[in-house]
Amino acid sequence: MVLMDKRNPKELWEYVLTQVELSISSANFNTWFRNSFIVRIGDDGVLYVGVPSQFFKDWYLKKFHTLLLKIVRDISYEFRNIDYLIVKDERRKAQSREIKNPRGAIELPLDEFYINKSDNLNPRYTFDTFVIGAFNNLAYAASQAVLARPGITYNPLFIYGDTGRGKTHLIQAIGNQFKKQYPGRKVFYLTSEKFTIDYTDSVQAGTANRFKDKYRQFDLLIMDDVQFLSKKQKTEEELFHLFNTLHDTNKQIIFSSDRAPAAIPDIAERLKGRLASGMTIDIGEPDPESRMAIVRKKAALHGIILSDEVIEYVSTTISGSIRELEGMVNNIICHAQVKGAAPDIAEVRQSLRSFTRPQKSISVKNVVDKVASFYGIDEESIYEKTRRREVVRPRQVIMYILREDFNISYPTIGTKLGGRDHTTVIHSCEKIKREVVVDTELAKEIQNIRTLLV
Amino acid sequence: MNISIEKRKFSEAVYIVARFAERKSATLPVLGSILILVGDEGIKMRATNLETGIDLKIEGACTAKGAVAIPAAILQQIASSLAGEGKITLDHTGDIVTLTSGTGKSSVRTVPYDDFPSIPFPENPKNRIILPGALLKNLFQTIASCASTSTIRPELASIYLSIEGGVLTAVATDSFRLAEKKVPLSNKGTQGKFLIPAKNALDIAQALPDDEIILSFDEHQCAFVSTIGMIVSRLTNAVYPDYRQIIPKESVVEAVVLRKDFEMALKRTTIFADSFQKVRLSFDPKKNTFSFFARNSDIGESSETLAARITGSPLELSFNHRYLSAALSLTAAESLSLTAAGIGRPLLMKGVGDTSLLYLISPMNQ
Repeated sequence: MVLMDKRNPKELWEYVLTQVELSISSANFNTWFRNSFIVRIGDDGVLYVGVPSQFFKDWYLKKFHTLLLKIVRDISYEFRNIDYLIVKDERRKAQSREIKNPRGAIELPLDEFYINKSDNLNPRYTFDTFVIGAFNNLAYAASQAVLARPGITYNPLFIYGDTGRGKTHLIQAIGNQFKKQYPGRKVFYLTSEKFTIDYTDSVQAGTANRFKDKYRQFDLLIMDDVQFLSKKQKTEEELFHLFNTLHDTNKQIIFSSDRAPAAIPDIAERLKGRLASGMTIDIGEPDPESRMAIVRKKAALHGIILSDEVIEYVSTTISGSIRELEGMVNNIICHAQVKGAAPDIAEVRQSLRSFTRPQKSISVKNVVDKVASFYGIDEESIYEKTRRREVVRPRQVIMYILREDFNISYPTIGTKLGGRDHTTVIHSCEKIKREVVVDTELAKEIQNIRTLLV
Repeated sequence: MNISIEKRKFSEAVYIVARFAERKSATLPVLGSILILVGDEGIKMRATNLETGIDLKIEGACTAKGAVAIPAAILQQIASSLAGEGKITLDHTGDIVTLTSGTGKSSVRTVPYDDFPSIPFPENPKNRIILPGALLKNLFQTIASCASTSTIRPELASIYLSIEGGVLTAVATDSFRLAEKKVPLSNKGTQGKFLIPAKNALDIAQALPDDEIILSFDEHQCAFVSTIGMIVSRLTNAVYPDYRQIIPKESVVEAVVLRKDFEMALKRTTIFADSFQKVRLSFDPKKNTFSFFARNSDIGESSETLAARITGSPLELSFNHRYLSAALSLTAAESLSLTAAGIGRPLLMKGVGDTSLLYLISPMNQ
């Protein structure tokens, strides 16, 4: 009678080893059995033994399989078979991290760039590093509700907000937390772009069915930036079916986008409806207090304590996304690491000077130049009194940009562009303003022109 | 078993194969041996340490078939003592092998070979590329030194090889510096990536012939097949960090210097480096000079100023000089380009006109 818990892989393997040791030479035992262990005991009675490499696997099958099988069968007939797996190096190694003095050298930050391939989640994004403020309180609460009862409370969870508000951080944190809370279940994070590429690839390779199966197996699917699905009809259809399958089986789905579902242009109505069918939450502009909290937390993460004065200065100086705020904090941290002490307000002011945007000033001629060349027309024609269509549109775009981005007065714009009346200018600006909302092509063009002007 | 092999060929083969035998004595004695197999396929030598394995064909005459395992260390010593032309014959009777060459005759006790493990050659590898052995040899030998020597993080003790779009990219880093080298391939179809332990890669590099070889790999194994035989290695089963993310995309200052100048100046400055092996580099765009400085409180200090083309703003950074000189073995370019992204950020080194290399060094605290 053997006294042990035969469902406990560790105890079972220790017992097996004592038996093996009796049957083979000690040199053999040391060579072949030192680095092996039972990975898991399958429900179907198959024992999975982890070995370091193919050499071991082949040799186990050739030399030790019968012996091992006999030993485990003697313990219990439940064990039907033994299978050998080559296991990851990390699992075999002791968890001790090497703490050696890197001889004054700064390590390359490789640790931050390990991405878990099976779920695509970046371990850097967790709730521990997530700052909760008035602006994202609701989104945070909803994500906690989702984690408490995945697939039931809010399905799908749709989070939207402008770039750099922490959408990706929040949804990846949900994924990472889900993994911790429900170890057996599968999470997958991807961007809608990746989904599209994956779909087109699978169509090309003729493995569309495998594609379907691949995504249907997940218990939590997180899709980032769904707005990029617009105009991709086939991919949308595929997502629609995937959505239905997952939703019907109470699998949680999380989406993020830079605008509300209804405002995503060129996306099938039925998909739009489904995106909005669960909980739709907007992450707004972070309030000053939250910004201060973010700066404090980011700095503290790198082990640097900033004075209140500095924090206030940083969070108020930069108006913009959290991403930019993070960039500034990184800058301060870098300086602090070099100097070996947290910087004071004067130093911060000095080092952040480069971050504060210079006052935009630009000549009208420059704008005309760039826009004309963008549309491939002669810049002279902009100033002429022609109403040819290919000239009118660029001219209106110029007026719009001069007004919106550079705050030039309507009459001035009129005079500079060949002596036009200020009402013409107002009309043009309003027209483009209206169209930009509905016409994505135009919006894209203007976006491109803006990058040319920076 | 009875075979007769030319001395030179025998020595070469033993020299290559012995490298793959286990050098630690604590394990199975047969792992420290070379297995000589004589069968229908001719004469073969095999050795493995369960990390890597080799199966090498040797030209020779055979009068009786059989197999025998001989301790690698003994064979190696015998092989290195063989001199002159002529042949060596191996005759196996009982548990003794008699080696006869010219005037000498020695009898060696054999090792039972029943326990000699099978070498797992991939039977049906999905991925394969063909490339000149000399190319791979050079790639492994130059880049392996940049991998970590500690096994705590197995992925960093490995060379990362990725094949995509007809280019083989090899990467090694010990987290203080990183080297990436690219090699064009003739067949463009294959894609894939794997991690090979750097230690194994070095052993394999020594054994690779210069002519074409077939490199094939699956999830756990890779194999190098050539006309003279096969070599296999286990692969590191771990995730490699997305190293491209740490390559700075922006730059503060760039210097272009002559390799010759750089090498000599670095060599002279190194004499004065402190116990941290620290050397300070300064970029001066006004005077267009690039200078080295080192100070050791016991010895003294030294500085070297080179003429260089500097674009950007002035900057001073300190590095471990070993990492700086390592770049020289990675490229043969006549001029070097050094791009810095700022204080505390890694320095990027390239050979001017050599797009295959990218070398990144992390600075030291000032």
